[in-house]
Amino acid sequence: MDPLIIPQPDTISVSWGWFQFLLLLTFPLHLLAMNAMLGSLAIGIFQHLKGGSVQKKLAHRIAVVLPLVIAFVVNLGVAPLLFVQVLYGQFVYSSSILMGISWILIVPIMIVAYYGSYLYDFKFTRLGSAGPWLAVLVFFLLTIIGFFFSNNMLLMSLPERFQDYFSHTGGSILAYTQPIFWPRFLHMICGSLAMGSLFVALLGQFRKASDPELEKHALRIGMNSFLILTSINIVAGFWYLLSLPSELMNIFMGGNGGATSAFVVALLLVTGALYSGWKKKLWSTLSYSVALVVVMTFMRSWLRTEYLKDVFTLDQLQVVPQYSPMFFFFVTLIAGVACLVWLINKSRIAFREE
Amino acid sequence: MNYPVWYLPETGGGFLIALIAILHVFVSHFAVGGGLYLIYAEKKALQEKSQALLDFTKEHARFFLLVTMVFGSITGVGIWFIIALVNPDATSFLIHNFVFGWAAEWVFFTVEIAAAFVYFYTFGRMDSATHQKVGWVYFISAWLSLFLINGIIGVMLTPGSWAENLDFWKGLFNPSFFPSLVFRTCIAVMIAACYGYLSASFTKNEEVRIAMSRFSAKWALVMLIAIVPSAIWYISVLPAEAYSLVMGKSPTIAAVLPWGSWGIVIFLTIMLGAGIVRPAYNLKPVALMALVSALLIMGGFEWTREAARRPYVINEVMYSNGIMKNDVEKFNREGFLPSAIWSKNRALTEDNQLAAGKELFVFQCYSCHTVNGTNNDIVAATQSMSYRALVKYIEKIHQVRYFMPPFAGTEEEGKALAAYIAGGLHGKEIAEQKEAVDPAEMGKILFEENCSSCHEVDDMVDPMQGTEKQEIVEMLQTLDEISEEMEPFSGTEQEQNVLADFLDSLNKGGQ
Repeated sequence: MDPLIIPQPDTISVSWGWFQFLLLLTFPLHLLAMNAMLGSLAIGIFQHLKGGSVQKKLAHRIAVVLPLVIAFVVNLGVAPLLFVQVLYGQFVYSSSILMGISWILIVPIMIVAYYGSYLYDFKFTRLGSAGPWLAVLVFFLLTIIGFFFSNNMLLMSLPERFQDYFSHTGGSILAYTQPIFWPRFLHMICGSLAMGSLFVALLGQFRKASDPELEKHALRIGMNSFLILTSINIVAGFWYLLSLPSELMNIFMGGNGGATSAFVVALLLVTGALYSGWKKKLWSTLSYSVALVVVMTFMRSWLRTEYLKDVFTLDQLQVVPQYSPMFFFFVTLIAGVACLVWLINKSRIAFREE
Repeated sequence: MNYPVWYLPETGGGFLIALIAILHVFVSHFAVGGGLYLIYAEKKALQEKSQALLDFTKEHARFFLLVTMVFGSITGVGIWFIIALVNPDATSFLIHNFVFGWAAEWVFFTVEIAAAFVYFYTFGRMDSATHQKVGWVYFISAWLSLFLINGIIGVMLTPGSWAENLDFWKGLFNPSFFPSLVFRTCIAVMIAACYGYLSASFTKNEEVRIAMSRFSAKWALVMLIAIVPSAIWYISVLPAEAYSLVMGKSPTIAAVLPWGSWGIVIFLTIMLGAGIVRPAYNLKPVALMALVSALLIMGGFEWTREAARRPYVINEVMYSNGIMKNDVEKFNREGFLPSAIWSKNRALTEDNQLAAGKELFVFQCYSCHTVNGTNNDIVAATQSMSYRALVKYIEKIHQVRYFMPPFAGTEEEGKALAAYIAGGLHGKEIAEQKEAVDPAEMGKILFEENCSSCHEVDDMVDPMQGTEKQEIVEMLQTLDEISEEMEPFSGTEQEQNVLADFLDSLNKGGQ
């Protein structure tokens, strides 16, 4: 077997734990926004195609919020991508180059999808029957981006595939031929659609006073879709688990205390989410599900650590200490959150006054 | 070289970076200046109690949102993607050194997005004083984004003491930080005014079109004037090498400066003529031309800034090809290929000279040169050079052309690179120096080896007219007096005579 090719990592300015903390703090936020985007769009398409007054109203509400959600998906994706590059740069830069063509295609695809979402929003009525098909195109493009991201995140964990570079220097490598890829991708997409269903139910709540019919419809569609998709996703999740190489699967089966505990907590949370969903309790279903997404990101992180443990562990990163920039970031973050709270309050007042 | 090279020989990574970056900065500066423009446009409408002007501002805010939120933010991420693909070593180095600068910038970006949405979606729903405050929140956070990015980009050109100590704050507040910040702020507002001018040209209400065309042109002209002293300040803090590149030593800068200058002239003419004097002349084609001229100004500036740090990607730290300045000596001593982990040919042998040469090209030259592409094509650039000329040239490439990185590797690796270019790309003979043939042939060989990297034989015919051989000999000894890029001929006295005879023969119609 050829020796693995792994670049030298750059030094970091604070202990790796800080970056891991920030990665695990920001990545669930990106996932939640991404789930809201993909899942609500899928439901919006079905509602729009199905027709009917309340269905169309719901599709329109989804169309209106879609560009806003996309903006935050992109924005909230920046931070975890930054921190993952700091922690795993030697892997993720390499895998990105190996799949360079697909990776850079994300940019034009995203631009087209994003403009498509604005067109769907601004011209919702005027587009007529073409509207849902435009939404289908946007959904398809966004899913392709997810597909490329899944490829990269898997490829970066497989340094043994880096040898393929020598026969494909043009950046045409992808990881979807790995047996693990499809269950992993399916698990992610199904989870997105399920969480997005809850987002649709939540959207209805904002119209509770002005449009109770829409609120009830959004709640029914959202909760039902959530139940169906989560049930499917449990199957997909077990398929994913069983597709893992046994030594990796083992960490969730008692091999690693933390990972196993996280898996058990995840199973409890999904049970709670399904039960609440069955009882049509939106807020508790949402709470269980958000917690589940957070725990899933922990499990994902454990899995990556396990994938790479023979060649790299985070404590190998050399620290050349400079802590003051981190404090500067935290101060900025607090000020930024204060600004966001002020902006939300002011817009809440503006829309309430309306 | 720590990372693999994404090899697209005809396209070249540099072209992809330039394409995404220039379009992005044109929109991202609009995103900064546009906030201020919207605040003052709204203020003007409120002061004049003009619903028509308010409607214009709202419409412009929508255009602003569509351009900056979609194209601006996605191409911003796009730059990050493309630089990581094309120059991963430099990207990783800057990400790791300035991670919390980028993280803070992300916070400002988040506030910027939220404020932009609130500003647009609450237009007419929120009381105007609060609405204007939202506009200020937007502008300040966008400007603070610029503040941070300006520092991190600036360090690539003027690293100052950061190059030695890698201190975050020294790097952020590098020598060009403040001049660049003022310059970029001015250009951001100027571009925003230009977009405002474009929006005005699309307005059906004649009164609004005239009012906002003049309003925009005033902003644009004031900023264009303010750019001049800030540009002079900016240039004055450049390191000597970068300064001389900007002042004409860099062919890539020299090629782009006329475009930028034309951009200024056209922009000035339109803003004065069809903005201040006759705003009614602001028709869609005129406004589009103004936009294109502003793009030329912005593109010219960014191109110049990028080229001014050559041969480095991070001045004094890392060369354009990702090789650290401090590593060159080691590579010269121990060889480049043995430590190039993404190289297939880790050891140079007689059998793999061309393949290893190709890898050396990919790792050391491809960051700037394409193969049979339109951007800086290596095939066209080396058309007239023989294998021997290339060997000599590669040895002293950085001395002859400062803006090119030195070749990092052993003499044998240099020869392998020359063999790939001469033999692999041009199909020329790869042979070490022949034993003395007839003097004329020897003269030609000496010319090839010493002069052909910059001069064609035909180009020398005119300068040699009426020059005596003794003058040519003296000229060869004092070439550095003709141009700083040349050095006195370093061969033996006999070789000098043979070369002088060859050049003298051009005088007499022989070659």
